[in-house]
Amino acid sequence: MTTLLAEGVTIRFGGLTAVDDATIEVPDGGFIGLIGPNGAGKTTLFNAIGGFIAPDRGRITFEGREITSIPASTRARLGIGRTFQKLELFGRMSVFDNLMVAAESAESRLDIVSDIMSLPRRHSEEARCARIAEDMLQSLDLDWARDRRAADLPIGHARILELGRALCMKPKLMLLDEPSSGLDSDETKAFGQLLKRVNEEMGVAILLVEHDMDLVMDVCKALYVLDFGRLIAHGTPKEIVKDPAVRAAYLGEEDDETAPAPAQR
Amino acid sequence: MQIFIRTLILGIASGSIYALASTGLVLTYKTSGVLNFGYGALALFTTYIHYTLTISAGLPVWLSAVIVVVVVAPLIGIFLDAQLFRRIEGQPQVIGVIATVGLFVLFRGLVQLIWGGTSHSVPSLFPPGTVHLPGGTVIGKDQLGVLIVAVVAALGLGAMLRYTKMGVAFRAVVSNRQVAGLMGINTGFVSGLAWAIGCAFAALTGVLLTPILLLDPNYLPPFIIAFVLGAAIVGYMRSLPLAYAGGIFIGIAQAIFIQYIRSQGLLGRISDSLPFIMITLAVVFAPRALRLAGVGASFIVRTREIVGQASKNARATVGLTVFTLLALVPAALSLSWSNALLIGLTQGVVFLSLVILTGYSGQISLGHTAFMGIAGFAAAHAVQSWHVPIWIAIFIGGIAAVPAGNLIGFIAVRVHGLYLALMTLAFAFMVDSLFFQNPTISGGEGGIPLHRPGGFRGDRAFYYVVLGFLILFSIIAVNLRTGRTGRVLAAMRDSETASRSLGIAVTKYKVLIFGLSAFMAGVGGVLYGMILQQAGSRTYIPFLGLFFMTIAVVGGIFQVGGAIAGGILTGLYLKLADYWPFLNKIQLILFGLGATLALAQNPEGLFGELRRAGAAITRTMSRRSASPRERAPVPVAGGQE
Repeated sequence: MTTLLAEGVTIRFGGLTAVDDATIEVPDGGFIGLIGPNGAGKTTLFNAIGGFIAPDRGRITFEGREITSIPASTRARLGIGRTFQKLELFGRMSVFDNLMVAAESAESRLDIVSDIMSLPRRHSEEARCARIAEDMLQSLDLDWARDRRAADLPIGHARILELGRALCMKPKLMLLDEPSSGLDSDETKAFGQLLKRVNEEMGVAILLVEHDMDLVMDVCKALYVLDFGRLIAHGTPKEIVKDPAVRAAYLGEEDDETAPAPAQR
Repeated sequence: MQIFIRTLILGIASGSIYALASTGLVLTYKTSGVLNFGYGALALFTTYIHYTLTISAGLPVWLSAVIVVVVVAPLIGIFLDAQLFRRIEGQPQVIGVIATVGLFVLFRGLVQLIWGGTSHSVPSLFPPGTVHLPGGTVIGKDQLGVLIVAVVAALGLGAMLRYTKMGVAFRAVVSNRQVAGLMGINTGFVSGLAWAIGCAFAALTGVLLTPILLLDPNYLPPFIIAFVLGAAIVGYMRSLPLAYAGGIFIGIAQAIFIQYIRSQGLLGRISDSLPFIMITLAVVFAPRALRLAGVGASFIVRTREIVGQASKNARATVGLTVFTLLALVPAALSLSWSNALLIGLTQGVVFLSLVILTGYSGQISLGHTAFMGIAGFAAAHAVQSWHVPIWIAIFIGGIAAVPAGNLIGFIAVRVHGLYLALMTLAFAFMVDSLFFQNPTISGGEGGIPLHRPGGFRGDRAFYYVVLGFLILFSIIAVNLRTGRTGRVLAAMRDSETASRSLGIAVTKYKVLIFGLSAFMAGVGGVLYGMILQQAGSRTYIPFLGLFFMTIAVVGGIFQVGGAIAGGILTGLYLKLADYWPFLNKIQLILFGLGATLALAQNPEGLFGELRRAGAAITRTMSRRSASPRERAPVPVAGGQE
């Protein structure tokens, strides 16, 4: 079965075609990597899946339901969680409240009147969501930071918190945009292990856009490679490493090295 | 045809003044990132100095103008830059907005204090008489003179920017302040010079305008700021030439309007609103990048070390104590005390509406008088025309303001920070000139009676009505912040993108919070009218919205306690002013100064200081009661790099 299917997605910015007829599939419980050199269009494609950019052509389905043109907030409620390359934590709120916002967004059935009148209903709903948030704190080993401002967290923990916040919504698919940026190699490794746990133990399908090849090779079950907006390869990490088109895209073709001017593509 | 050419030249002449002014405004905005809402009040203040130098000191008009424009105004600019704007550098633009609103209030107050607020006509710089242009068109020498001076000043600035070394530094700072700093340009000097030039242009604007208009403290500053912002918005405050063109355009449009559509009715009022309509359209249809760029939804400020919330019990105890003391005031103290606090607490209701909007959700509104007025007039009409019971009319008023709030909230999805401040200010002025100045709505000279509820007619009794609403709204506001909705608002304030990614319907919540804020402001507006027992065309002037914003900031804009502190502060101040009437004259100055200083020093305002003091006292007391050995060990956070 397929969790996410993006078919023939094309996105243009003015005259530039950032993503050109790309098709990506994330199977149930899959762990898919999306890689490519700088400017390959990874983040653009990714934003189209998350609902932050509308594609010019193509169709995106999630669990068999077309989501091509529905707003980002609705996609989130359907079960698509995401993190951001440039951290987007709620900086002035506590670590706990960051998780609480997400848990409530997914779980709470509290209406606004009961909320601002502080009716008994509010307390039962709050307690229920607080448990979700507390459990997430526990499982991410973030208890020590419970009442700190999110903006004060070191970046390694901030990345974990951002992931945990999305997980509080119990998503079926996680979109992760360059989670290793700003992390050192040890932190990246630990983060990779956490992602494996999320994928295997919680059964969340993952689509990972990433620069760090070690991380991608370590955690992903299959890879898509984008170059200049086009898909140039698809396969297991082992197949991809050997793929000549991928090697050319990453390393440049051999005669490029000696050519006086950059080759036209 | 001759009439048309004459109208055109008239338009260009007045337009060139607006153009000059908007160039000055944009110059300071681009070099320092602060949009000066106090521009009109600066022009007012400097022109009063000019007036004094010519009329009272007897200097020749030309000499006095030169002294004011070339010496006095630039010194004010340099002083403001060094003492205020450098200190709030790097803060979100909303802080700059409130700080300059404080300046507006401050300079307006200085004029009130020194010159007593009477209006004057200022002698023209130019000789009387007319000039015959080729083609038979006749225009006044003064108009020609204004045109020449304005063009020369603008060309001078242009040449300075283009051909001097200083100009290169200027342009570098304008295009990227940080990089310019790294390249070894003294950005502080440049921004000081920019403020000097900006203030000089403000003064020149006043000196050129006031022979045509009156030098009037109520009329001139809003007039200037309206036309200047309207002109500057044409280039989205990014481009000096476009700001200049915008000024000329507005001048011509205004002249044509006056010449050909002399209507006194709705059309005439629309002509007053012309710049505001331009601002609204420009802001709402601004390119996405501009509406959101550099502004950010967030209102994150450098707060000092105290963060975190008081415990629920502590909050309840303090709240209960304060409200009990307030409830005892009419019984225990003289009528003058309760009357002073009555006004303060009524304003406190309005401050609460600002706290939930600005403090909780990080959005700014300079247009809350619109909500107050809509509610006030709705309640007054409900009672007068439909004989609705007065208690119900209070709520009808509040509810009447909600759709207007919803509308602004809906726009706020597209527009953030500085542009939202502009939008809401324009909204307040438009509602004022289109509706509140309409005699059918505001009842002409006498206004419309707005009686207090039966049984609460007396001042002491009515005090309890106001206190009741203040308590009710405080509880709602605290519930709002501590509950789910408050968390969502805070989340949206910190990152709208992340909020969307968590399934939060940003639009819904913005519409909601603006609606709720409008409701509270509306009820506050009805109560405010009830103090005066009438709602009239002068009850809800837009200036009040700016003034309220400054007091709310002095009290503390981030928390309910700040709104109440602001209300009590106003009450105490009014009471003290009974003893020392002098205080009435400097009220604007003190609060204007207070708001700017608060933002430069301590964004949490009076309430923040009180909490800090309270926390210090609690610490000292608990230290005394607990022996050192029994003190809990400080938990060491693990896992930190």
